[in-house]
Amino acid sequence: MENKDDNYYIEKVINGQTSYFSYIVEKYQDIVFSIALKVLRNREDAEEMAQESLVKAFKSLHTFQGKAKFSTWLYRITYNTCISETRKKKYHYTSTDDIQISEEAEDMNLDGIPEENRERYVKAALAKLPEDEYTLVLLYYFEEQSVEEISKVTGLTASNVKVKLHRARKKLYTILNDMLQEDLYTIL
Amino acid sequence: MKTFEEDKELKQFLRSVKLESPADGFSARVMNRVFEEKAAFEQVKQEPVLGRGFWIILALFAALFAVMALVSGTPVAESAPSILPEINTDAVLTGYRSFFDKLGALPAGIAGIFMASSLLILLEKLLSSRSHVLS
Repeated sequence: MENKDDNYYIEKVINGQTSYFSYIVEKYQDIVFSIALKVLRNREDAEEMAQESLVKAFKSLHTFQGKAKFSTWLYRITYNTCISETRKKKYHYTSTDDIQISEEAEDMNLDGIPEENRERYVKAALAKLPEDEYTLVLLYYFEEQSVEEISKVTGLTASNVKVKLHRARKKLYTILNDMLQEDLYTIL
Repeated sequence: MKTFEEDKELKQFLRSVKLESPADGFSARVMNRVFEEKAAFEQVKQEPVLGRGFWIILALFAALFAVMALVSGTPVAESAPSILPEINTDAVLTGYRSFFDKLGALPAGIAGIFMASSLLILLEKLLSSRSHVLS
């Protein structure tokens, strides 16, 4: 894959070279799918909506003005498409927002989690977050989006994004700490 | 106590894990859809704005007006028996005449409203048929 800026490929696609859109698909498919999977909670629906989001982005590519980052624009399409789908299909999820935040958990040393277990820990911890907080964590920590950019994606105010990220971080530490304690207890 | 902005350790820890990926062939499936959309769009672009149906209706109207002009330009008593000798077309022609007389007597404003609404209906039909192809 050519290592060029997103705008380079966007320009090519707008000028009629549609096959260049595959660079965009390859680059963003994992994050788009992850957002969809968290919101819809089922791989089949998530793939369908991830596909739908990318096709929507292609169809309205000419309206992308380049004022914000392309990724911000794409994630907003993805997030809105998935949220609309949950409303259309009237999904009702039981709330996962029942984690008792422990203030001491923040002091844990993440290096204490063995490397071979990290993937399991991270996936389990992210799975326990509610979808809005998961999306914020994904965009902030994985995609390095700024608070302002996340605000544009989710439609939340910047201060609300900060509050939610603050809570999500505490929850992650609590979940990771609990898992580590459980594993240690099992070993002993 | 660190804020979420200062917590580089957590960021590093989270990023050490690969995100969930869609099934194999996802990218190809998306690109197939993209090419389909592109082809549909190209087809719409090539289609004339006014389709064949519109021109047929227009031709029929033109023919009707031509017939009307011919009929109204010729004395009824001479022409009608030669075309249709068995049928008395006087009543039909009188009806037509009275209809068009009434139509001609309409104020220009009302005629304008009729024309504008017909144009809007036609435009709406055209646009909706195009958006069906694109969606």
